[in-house]
Amino acid sequence: MRLPTLDNLKGRLPANGVAARVRFPRFRAPWRTLGPGSVASLLKVALDVAYLLLMLITAVLLIAFVAAIFIPVANYNVTVTDHDGGLQQPLTRPLLLFGLGALSAWVGGFLLILRNLRLIFRTLTAGDPFRPENVRRLRAIGLTLATVTAGVWVAQGMVAARLVPGVMDPQGFGELLTPIFSVLVVFVLAEVFREGARLRRESELTI
Amino acid sequence: MAIRIQLDRILLERRMSLTELADRVGVTLANLSILKTGKARAIRFSTLDALCRELNCQPGDLLVHEPGPQDLTADDDGDD
Repeated sequence: MRLPTLDNLKGRLPANGVAARVRFPRFRAPWRTLGPGSVASLLKVALDVAYLLLMLITAVLLIAFVAAIFIPVANYNVTVTDHDGGLQQPLTRPLLLFGLGALSAWVGGFLLILRNLRLIFRTLTAGDPFRPENVRRLRAIGLTLATVTAGVWVAQGMVAARLVPGVMDPQGFGELLTPIFSVLVVFVLAEVFREGARLRRESELTI
Repeated sequence: MAIRIQLDRILLERRMSLTELADRVGVTLANLSILKTGKARAIRFSTLDALCRELNCQPGDLLVHEPGPQDLTADDDGDD
């Protein structure tokens, strides 16, 4: 096979020597992404269902947390492990309260995130995403995500170091890379929405 | 904003109401009111053209620059 020489190519290039831009077909989703009856409205329904379920779970956990203060917990054991085997620990009231409290806080954090996501998707369903409220909601999601992730990391570290030393692997900073990336993406998105809201306002006040 | 719209004065001189101007120009009364009260951020050339045509005036008759301290108030964009 003959390779094209520079002389051959010269004949095919435009006179100014700049190659013609290759045009790829533009991808357009075959469904509507914003507005009533769109993918956004479908996702909003899914978020509504998830929000209700998470509310129920949080309520059950909080009831269990209050009940754990009063119920007798003697003669119970709990196995702490991150693989087969692990270590049997007597279930003390402080341990039970710590476990239930940490779980309630974790689920509650995701409840807050879902609540803000639902409100954002409500505006997407209305076909008006660049509202100033969405900037605050996205920042709240970022902060909650950061808090929940940091809380889980600290709680796991406490369990691994204090409660059952040697059973669980020690916490590494590498595990925080993905959550930090996610949190930063959410904050960048919040700034994008802030710019969108500013442009929307400019557009509204252009007569 | 250092730029002011003198719509009031010109409407008074032409004995024309804001509603009538809105009808003639094809801009909603609400938008024309924003323009009149100085809340507008920008004006399109097409709107300016229609205003000048209907009011029989020049853009310089409508717009006045009043030097003063620059407006540094933050935008209402979610930072409140």
